[in-house]
Amino acid sequence: MNDLAASTVPALIELDDTDYAIIELLRADGRMPYRAIARELGVTEATVRARVRRLEESNTMRVVAVTDIEAAGYDMLLAIGVQVENRSPEAVARDLAAIPEVFSVNVVVGTHDVEILVVAEDQTALDELISQQLAGTPGVRRLTPALALDVLKNQPDWVPLHDPA
Amino acid sequence: MTRRKLDEVDKAIVARLSRDARVSNGQIAGELGVTEGTVRARVKRMEEEKLIRITAVTNIDRFRDAALAYIWIEVERSDQTRGVARALAEITELGFVGVMLGRSDILAITMVRNTEHLAEFLHQRINVIAGVRRTESTLGVNFVKHDYRMARIVS
Repeated sequence: MNDLAASTVPALIELDDTDYAIIELLRADGRMPYRAIARELGVTEATVRARVRRLEESNTMRVVAVTDIEAAGYDMLLAIGVQVENRSPEAVARDLAAIPEVFSVNVVVGTHDVEILVVAEDQTALDELISQQLAGTPGVRRLTPALALDVLKNQPDWVPLHDPA
Repeated sequence: MTRRKLDEVDKAIVARLSRDARVSNGQIAGELGVTEGTVRARVKRMEEEKLIRITAVTNIDRFRDAALAYIWIEVERSDQTRGVARALAEITELGFVGVMLGRSDILAITMVRNTEHLAEFLHQRINVIAGVRRTESTLGVNFVKHDYRMARIVS
């Protein structure tokens, strides 16, 4: 799942109102034709095409398909607090990020050292994920899970677009 | 919670679209060896059934003063959990809202600029919701991964 490798680190670009307007329209409908965007914003189609390319090439924005967790076959979602020992939280976080079912990884300050969000197909898969893969990751001391009974929303607008692995 | 699962052709189309959704139906069709009409119909159906959503995602790394905040919310009475969660889901700034079993009643996740911003957000947007008893927040220091291809599609 980690096929999003950004091999080079592109320079930050300055965004103007046109860029933000294009992002807003593509957020609402990622497959909106360039011509329709141009008409909406009162600019040429060539401008829109060039702006989108610039946003993509600078790794500022991507237009992608987002799959519903359940449609993808995952019936369980958990938020797990991870306590780390004898290793840096960053190193443990990187190892955890390499596991496809671990879809969000944050190094935090507090009771736990890392917070992760994971998905599992069913209870058997979840048991394997927690007791083998997560607990077996070097540096993981304790896992404190909470099971999501209902996810009302999981659509962050801002995410890191770098390869986690 | 009974959504159709994607079949193999759906999954192949989605795999292509999750890398770059601006690719044409014709090109996907060529790569997968199916007709353009099949790709168009499949994409349309998956979108209509809210199995996928095609959208722009933007890079958090561009915003240096941004940290992820995990907000755990405890409600006054258990029968208020749903209502509080629904109210939270209405808040645009929250990227995740889940009713949880264990740790606390509800988990909400948002992006904040700093501790002051988090305190202000809690005070003005979360604590004012009827039924919220207390909150406990954790601020992220390093956002290592978020696979944006996984989501809960609701709208």
